[in-house]
Formats: sequence, structure tokens, C-alpha cells
Amino acid sequence: MRIIGLIGVLAFAAPVLVISQGRPTLAFRGDAGFVWLRSDTAPAGAGAIRLRGPVLGGEGRLVFNGFSVALGLSSGTLQATNQTSTKRDLIEGRLLVAARPLPWLEMSVGPLVRAYVTDAVTERWVFWQARARVDAPIVTSGLASYVELWRAVSSQVNLVAGAGRVQGGEAGLTYHPPRRPFSLRLAYRVDDATVRGGGDGSQMLEAITASLVVGGR
Amino acid sequence: MTRASVVLAVSLLMCGARVSRAQSASDLLRQGVQAYQTLEYDAAAALLERSLRRDSVTGLADSLQTWALTYLAATELFRGQRDSAVAAFRQLVLLNPRYRPDELVFPPQVTNLFQEVRRSTKAVAVVVPPVSTVRTRLDPFKARLLTSSLADLTVSLAREDGTPVRELYSGPVADSLLVSWDGLTAAGTPADDGRYILRVMPRSPAADGPRARQVVLDVKQQPPDTLSWPPTPTLLPERTLTGPAVQTLAAGLVAGAAVVALPSLIAQGKDATGARYAVGAAVGVSGLVGFFARKPRPLDANVRANASQRDAWKRSVDVVKAENAARLRTMRLVVRAGPETIAERGSQ
Repeated sequence: MRIIGLIGVLAFAAPVLVISQGRPTLAFRGDAGFVWLRSDTAPAGAGAIRLRGPVLGGEGRLVFNGFSVALGLSSGTLQATNQTSTKRDLIEGRLLVAARPLPWLEMSVGPLVRAYVTDAVTERWVFWQARARVDAPIVTSGLASYVELWRAVSSQVNLVAGAGRVQGGEAGLTYHPPRRPFSLRLAYRVDDATVRGGGDGSQMLEAITASLVVGGR
Repeated sequence: MTRASVVLAVSLLMCGARVSRAQSASDLLRQGVQAYQTLEYDAAAALLERSLRRDSVTGLADSLQTWALTYLAATELFRGQRDSAVAAFRQLVLLNPRYRPDELVFPPQVTNLFQEVRRSTKAVAVVVPPVSTVRTRLDPFKARLLTSSLADLTVSLAREDGTPVRELYSGPVADSLLVSWDGLTAAGTPADDGRYILRVMPRSPAADGPRARQVVLDVKQQPPDTLSWPPTPTLLPERTLTGPAVQTLAAGLVAGAAVVALPSLIAQGKDATGARYAVGAAVGVSGLVGFFARKPRPLDANVRANASQRDAWKRSVDVVKAENAARLRTMRLVVRAGPETIAERGSQ
């Protein structure tokens, strides 16, 4: 399934690369954020676990003629909020192929892999996302807001119950200072993943991220 | 024979009679002149008198009448009928005060008698164009007075009911005089539509003075064409629009609200942290900042450009206003003149 999806993404991206006549540009983004995780996917009776912690990440994006391919990675360590020693390492990687059919609308697809690593076990989620992002300029193009929603068209998790509905959203603000080669971004995102047959078991991940983007305009 | 046929036959007979009589008047004149030239003065006198007795419809034209009268006067003079010759010449002077017999055609005794009669006969004529267009103050109506000898005349204009309008001239006229009327009344206003009488009369009526003459004038005003106002200039906006500022505020507030509402949409029933409020507030505040950054403000360059455009427009309006006022002051009058007639005695 993953192989088929990857082939699909590449099949979508390849013609884009071929037909693009403009010179591709590269953009890099550095993220620093804070994550809150609420997970009750543990066996019944264990109760919900709340963790939080800082996350650092980055993304490289190749942009050409309204199309882009982005590859990102982020990781951090989450600590339990109840002062126990419970902690998880969060590692997340994603590949997105995006197109911009309208100046204010970006559609993208691609896989996202998220892993929660403890000393004993690694919980790994794989989503195939379909995302839609709407940009709304606030002050011309220098200051803009955006809202992005996504839903997993396919999801897998190495839990007994299996992955159910997975969806998320992100909204925030981007600011590109005049005559500067970089831009700033402040974003809030929330993901919600349910497990199939696990009653109301789910994971909700929230994050605030401040980013520095260089190039790509 | 029907009644219509009878009427047609009678009409044709009447028309034929008139045509034959018209030919007869000019033929009589021609025959009279021939008789004069062959020294058959009695026959010439009879023929010329007959040619002058034709009625006004089929009679001789004025130019032929002067010719007939001149030959008649010469014929009477050579017949020894001096009084008849004087009478013919007096009639000639009254008909056309400026007429002079050709000295190459008539001998001195004829022309001398004519000069004698002309000096003793006071006659005046008025010559006006049948139709003339008058522009008040600029292009006047013109009438020419012709006198047989020095005469003291008054030329006046009155309405048909006798109401005086203007006195155009008062003084001596030796031979001819061009009298102008600027189209205005005594009050300085353009003459209204209506019928007017141009009257020429001696200043002091005397038995041997010229008889007063008059011409009826039909006056009709033609409103002048005025210029249209210059089109109002297309002005630049003098303030920035409100729309972009409101759009900015709306975008910020909607995006901020979306941040706050995101957990409710994505993960219903789960208690999210308050972290979203910080981002939502930042987005909302950015919308407010954008609103104040783009709020309507004066565009000085446009204000200056509009001011110069407005000034130019006002100047052109003033020019048009002045031109229209001048055009309205100079009303156009169309004056149609009737035939010259002898004024009734005692009319003013």
C-alpha cells in the first residue's frame, strides 16, 4: 500500500517537474514549537496520558510554477504533565506534493509518518494525507493568514486496534518583511487520530510552531 | 355640357385675355417708342398712354414704366404739351426719385425739363432687402432712403398698432442715405416678434413736400445657439478605499477565529489546551494592525491633481458662461420686408 502511494506521489510529481518551465527555487524552513499530546490509546483502564514538550524541525521545499515538493522532519521529547517520569520521543517525517490551482488555494497530498518512541515500544502511525490550504492576505502579501485542513485517506498504526479516522488542521500567520529574503510564521495545529474498535480511544496532538522560512518566494 | 366644363371654359377665356393684355402693354410701349423715333408724336403719345393704363397685374414693370413715362414726357414736350410733359416727369420722379433720363438718348430740352421737375418735386423712396438677418448690436438691418432733392426727413420704427419703437434718423437727406437699425428697442432690448412699420416722413409737413413712405417689417426672433457646459472632469480618488481595510480586518479576525475554533472542528468533545488562544490572538491582532495600516487616508498627490483639474474646469465653465452671455445679448432677428407704400396722411 505504501509503495503504491509513493508511486502515485512520484507519478503526480514527475510530470510537474517535466512541464515546469520556470526555474525551480528552494525554500528551507526551520521550526521551533511546543507540543501537547493527549493519548488514550492505551489498554482500557489505563486512562488518558498527557504529555508535552518542545519540538524542533525543518522542511525543504522545491517550488516551481505553482507546484512544490516538500520534505520535512521534526522531533522532540515529550514529558508527562503529571510529574511522572513518563516520556516519549516524538519523531515525525512527511513528504508532500502540492499544487496551487488558485492564488489563494493550495492542494497537497503525501505521506506522514509519526512515531512515539519509548524505551519499550515504538508506536508508529502512517497517514496518507490530502490537504487543502487557503491563504488570506492581511496586508498585501507581506502579512497573511492561512487555514489548512487535512484528512487521512489511508492510515496505519502498529497498534492492535488499528487506525481509524485521522484528521487535522492548522491555522496561522506568515509575515514576509519587505526586501528581506526570509519570512516568519506562527502556527497552531491540531491532529486527532482515533483507533478502530478501541472505543473512544484517540490521540490528539496540538502544537504551536514558530518558523523561519528562507527562500522560496 | 356639365357645370365643370362651363367653369373650365370661362377660366381659360379669362386667362387668355389677361395674357393677351400683358403682351399688349409691352407691345404698346414698343410701338410707342417706334412712333416717337419716327417723329409721329400723336400716335406715340396715344400708344404710350395706353401702355401705362394697364392694370397692376398685367401692366409694365417699374423699369418699363420709367421708360414709358420718359418717352411720354418727351413726346408731350415735342407735341407742345409742356404741362403734360411736366406731369409725366413728376409721376416719374415719384415712381423712382433716383431716375435720370439718358442724355445720349434724349435731347437737352428733355433732360433740362426733367431736372427742373425733379428739383421742384419732393419725392422719397425706401429700399429694403426683402429678407435680412439681423444680429442685435452686431449686424444691423439696413434701409436706403432715396430722395429726388434735398429733403428733411425723419425715419422711425413703430409697432403695427402705432406704438413708437425707435427713431432711426432725423435730418436732411440730399440724395440717398443708409439707415441702420441694430434690432433693439428704445429700452435696449431686442425687438419682440411681430409686425413693425418703418416710416419715412418729412420733418415738417408741407404741401409740396415729399409724401411719407412706409414699409411693413415682419420681425421674428431666432434664439441664439449657446455652447454646452464642458464635461465634468474625471477626478482621482482623494482618499484610499475603505474596502481593503475592512477586508484586512475580516481576514485577520476570521483566521483568528479559525485558530480558536480549530479543535472544535477537528477533535470534537476533547478538551484542547489554551495554546490556540495565543495564536488566535496574534492573528486577530495582526488583522487589527492591518486595518489601521490600510484605513482610509488622504491621497495628497490626487488631491493636488484634482484641484488643478477642478480649476481648469471652472475656468472653461467661466469661458462658456461669458460666451453664452454674449450670444444671448446678440439676438438674431429675421426681418421680412413688405412692399413700400405711401403712408396714410397723419399717421405717426
